[in-house]
Amino acid sequence: MLKMENVTKIYRTGMVETRALRDFTLEVEEGEFVTLTGPSGSGKTTFLNVSGLLDGFEQGQYWLDGRDVSRLSDREMSRIRNEKIGFIFQSFNLIPDLDVFDNVDVPLRYRGLKAKERKERIEKAVTMVGLSSRLRHLPSQLSGGQQQRVAIARVLAGDPKLILADEPTGNLDSAMAREIMDILDQVNEAGTTIIMVTHNPEHAARAHRQLHIADGRMVDLERIAPFPLNRPAAMKSPVRQAL
Amino acid sequence: MLLYNARLAWKSIRRNPVLSFLIVLGIALGVGVSTTFITAYHVLARDPVPGKSESLYYVRMNSWGVADDPFLRTPPPLITYRDALELLKSPVPVRSTASFQSHDTVFPEGGARPFGQDLRLATADLFPMFAAPFRYGGPWSREADTRPESVAVISSALNDRLFGGANSVGRTIRLGNHPVRVVGVLGAWRPRVRAFALFGSPLDAPEPIFLPLALAGPMELKPHEFQMSWRTPQPGEEKLPYASQLMLDEVLFVSFWAELTDARQAETYRHYVDAYVSEQKKLGRFPHPLNNRVTPMLDLMDELKVVPPQTKALAAISLLFLVVAALNLIGLFLGKFLARAATVGVRRALGASRRTIFVQHLVECELMGLAGGLCGVLLALLGLAVLNHVYGDGPQGVPFFRLDLLMVLAAVGLSLLAGAIAGVYPAWRICSVPPARHLKTQ
Amino acid sequence: MEFGPIFRSLLRNRARVILIVAEVALTLAIVANCLSLIMDTRTKLARESGFDEEHIAVIHTNPFDDHLRQQTVLDQLVDQDRRTLRALPGVRAVSNTSLRPWQRSGNITSVRIPGTHDEPVSTQVCSADPGVFETLGIAITEGRGFTEAEYDHGADAPPTEVLPVVVSRALANRFYPSGGAVGKQIGDADESQRYLIVGIVDRFYNPFGGSGNDERIIFMPARSVGFDRGAQYLVRTAGDPARLLPQIEKALLGVEKGRFVRTRTMVEDRTEFHGRDRILVASLNTVMALLVLVTALGIVGLTSFSVSERRRQIGTRRALGADRAAIVRHFLLENWMVTSFGILLGAGLAYALNFGIVTWVAGARLSPAVVAAGAVGLWIIGVGAALGPALRGAQVPPAIATRNV
Repeated sequence: MLKMENVTKIYRTGMVETRALRDFTLEVEEGEFVTLTGPSGSGKTTFLNVSGLLDGFEQGQYWLDGRDVSRLSDREMSRIRNEKIGFIFQSFNLIPDLDVFDNVDVPLRYRGLKAKERKERIEKAVTMVGLSSRLRHLPSQLSGGQQQRVAIARVLAGDPKLILADEPTGNLDSAMAREIMDILDQVNEAGTTIIMVTHNPEHAARAHRQLHIADGRMVDLERIAPFPLNRPAAMKSPVRQAL
Repeated sequence: MLLYNARLAWKSIRRNPVLSFLIVLGIALGVGVSTTFITAYHVLARDPVPGKSESLYYVRMNSWGVADDPFLRTPPPLITYRDALELLKSPVPVRSTASFQSHDTVFPEGGARPFGQDLRLATADLFPMFAAPFRYGGPWSREADTRPESVAVISSALNDRLFGGANSVGRTIRLGNHPVRVVGVLGAWRPRVRAFALFGSPLDAPEPIFLPLALAGPMELKPHEFQMSWRTPQPGEEKLPYASQLMLDEVLFVSFWAELTDARQAETYRHYVDAYVSEQKKLGRFPHPLNNRVTPMLDLMDELKVVPPQTKALAAISLLFLVVAALNLIGLFLGKFLARAATVGVRRALGASRRTIFVQHLVECELMGLAGGLCGVLLALLGLAVLNHVYGDGPQGVPFFRLDLLMVLAAVGLSLLAGAIAGVYPAWRICSVPPARHLKTQ
Repeated sequence: MEFGPIFRSLLRNRARVILIVAEVALTLAIVANCLSLIMDTRTKLARESGFDEEHIAVIHTNPFDDHLRQQTVLDQLVDQDRRTLRALPGVRAVSNTSLRPWQRSGNITSVRIPGTHDEPVSTQVCSADPGVFETLGIAITEGRGFTEAEYDHGADAPPTEVLPVVVSRALANRFYPSGGAVGKQIGDADESQRYLIVGIVDRFYNPFGGSGNDERIIFMPARSVGFDRGAQYLVRTAGDPARLLPQIEKALLGVEKGRFVRTRTMVEDRTEFHGRDRILVASLNTVMALLVLVTALGIVGLTSFSVSERRRQIGTRRALGADRAAIVRHFLLENWMVTSFGILLGAGLAYALNFGIVTWVAGARLSPAVVAAGAVGLWIIGVGAALGPALRGAQVPPAIATRNV
């Protein structure tokens, strides 16, 4: 699903050069649920930016879903982000002026789908995260957990192959965090690859594989649970069926 | 505290110089444009004889003598020489003056080439009635009007040209074939509106030479401006001396003003004029129904549209311009303040009250308003200089449009007001930002 | 495109929307009315006299020397002046006339068909010599002009005599709308003088004595000179008349130096005539330009703020798959919608303002075309002003979305 070889990302601020990723190499299989931990400043966010095509990199190579995405134009990268990747952010990043429906609608608009299809997808996705009664609420009228569920609905509506989650539970209390983790588990079971950055060891432990990043490098590579490769795509998960 | 606020404001202004420049530019343009055109309007529309215009009345009567009357509704704008002389005898007004413009040749002493000059024939009362300032001497006496004496009041520019600016009272000027004695030299006199000659070219400067009205006959001075006539001279009349022709003719060219102390006196005077016309009707003149007007000066200026109506439209439009500039300002302030909502959140958390924040931001608005206002005044000076250039200065070098202190104060006041009005809403928005909202995500 | 969401999001940013809408609306109202006033005035400025103005010098002579007080001397002087001027190289035609184009000066009289009691028609009237038509460059399209003898005799003709005159088409049509005016008589309303129409000129326009008189004129064959009023000559030149003015002055003073000579070109007179209107047009143009500048600044400012306020939102949108063009489109569309509200409101406001101006000041009614032109201009300016900030917004990196501040 995702393969990085010797990726190096350098940030320059004035005269100072920071290597946020150094010869970073990683392979994630389709359907895997991988968590990524590391102290702050270790390069977690940089990894997410690079793997999510939010940011370019200087050296190395990156394949996503079998395609070399190392050097793409803005337009191509935007298209891939829109169609193959779903982001879940620590601070939700809902658009404050738009209500739940319109927020979930945003990526679908960029995909240029027909109004009828968008509506169906939005309603299904919002129902899945249990917020169908809140379609016309603004983010400011929702709790943190609800906001994050809207953000997840936004991802689900787009039906991406890869979800990149950046401490999705960081701003939430533990009950809400568990809810979010349950949803993510379901989504993963339905076949979507998930890479999640987290500080929470309990959440990290739920993954198939835990990675540790420090100083821009992978330091530890440990397979937590046996991961059934070549799992058939036809899923028994209710989430996938709902879609 | 005010000083602290001013310092905070200064820091904030410096933090974003481009934006601050845009804000100041916005106010300056608004204030500059509106001050320029409102001043232009104000100058043109202003009372041309402050303190006196309420008591000055213009006299019109319908002496048109043929059946087809082009003056069916309003009487003609000017009166005849003979009627003017009769009206001057009225004891009702405090003062009255009849005048018309003529033209003659000035022959300087010492054989320099002569030059033509416009002049005005008038009676002595014109000077006090229209508040003419004198540098040397003064008006001629009322006796000089009736006798008449060959005397003149000249402009300071002509005095400079003929006498090198020296006190020329008592000296003699040759006008055509006639020597006249200077009794007075006017000071700098450039009324915005030449109120004694509202028909004709009221925006021109006063004529450089004034002579007693009764000299018209002996000096054979003919009307040089607007005149109307309905009567064709009878055969033989053109051989009469000019003075006699003047008395016979039904040519309309004289402006007549009376100074009347109050409305009651004005009413008395109206009766007097009506009585005079009725008297003349018995002599076969004034065939039309009684239709005389004794009109207060300011009403007449309105009636004649002395102030070009477009000037009014421009003034109104430029006021709206100020409104747009203020709206613009609200937007810019709003953006500027809300962009630093987080900082304000910190201040609020550190104990600044809502009031303090409000005042702090309002002070900033006022500072910029003031800066913009001052730049605006400079712009207005520039604008008026341009207008003066294209309108042309008066011959005495007195600029036509001047920014008086009142207008400067008004402009500065306006900019402070604009700053306040434009600042209140943004300052209120920013001070009602809850302190917690922007701290939470820090 | 995303009309719906943008519209709904605008409803939640009322302050900003109201400000731009009000600003655009007021601007359109003012611009439309300025344009209307300008066009109104420009029609007046552009009106052509029909004369060969670019090639005409206007010469005023004013006698002051005593020996010129005799009318016979002056009459002879005029004839001598005409000969002298005609003999100057570069001079095509010369006329002694009291017609003063673009000088706010002249004579008005009332005429009617003799013997009738119709409402008299007021018209400009002037004395002129036979050369006036060639000098002005207006052709006699019907009938004939004057003879030198008629001119020589005209000023002394007794009132009982019928004077041959040339009139403008506008005046002729007033009495004889179906043509055939040549050979007919008109007379002064007070029966003092009768005129026989011998010729008609088609082109004549000289704004004087009220708009009704602008195209009406009677050319009367008569010498125009007097000690008090002097004499006027119009001189038609082959080239630029300004270059000939010094020679003309010198030649005339050579004939007689007991007089003043003032030389000008007709173009100068016309420019001066239009002075106030030109100031008005210039002022209106300035106000309009500055207003549009201020409004554009305002839109730039407000859009910049809305962009910087929404950097995170832009980042999120980029993360969700918006390319740069989509971000630019988003802001332009948003601005276009707000500007459109403003324009809609402004169109109404423009008519309200126009109503006020027409009622309380003066001026013409606003034409829809002017409002439309203003609207299109503001659309372009409004959206154009948003382009800069929108492009800057598009530069926001998508990675900003993952920043947790």
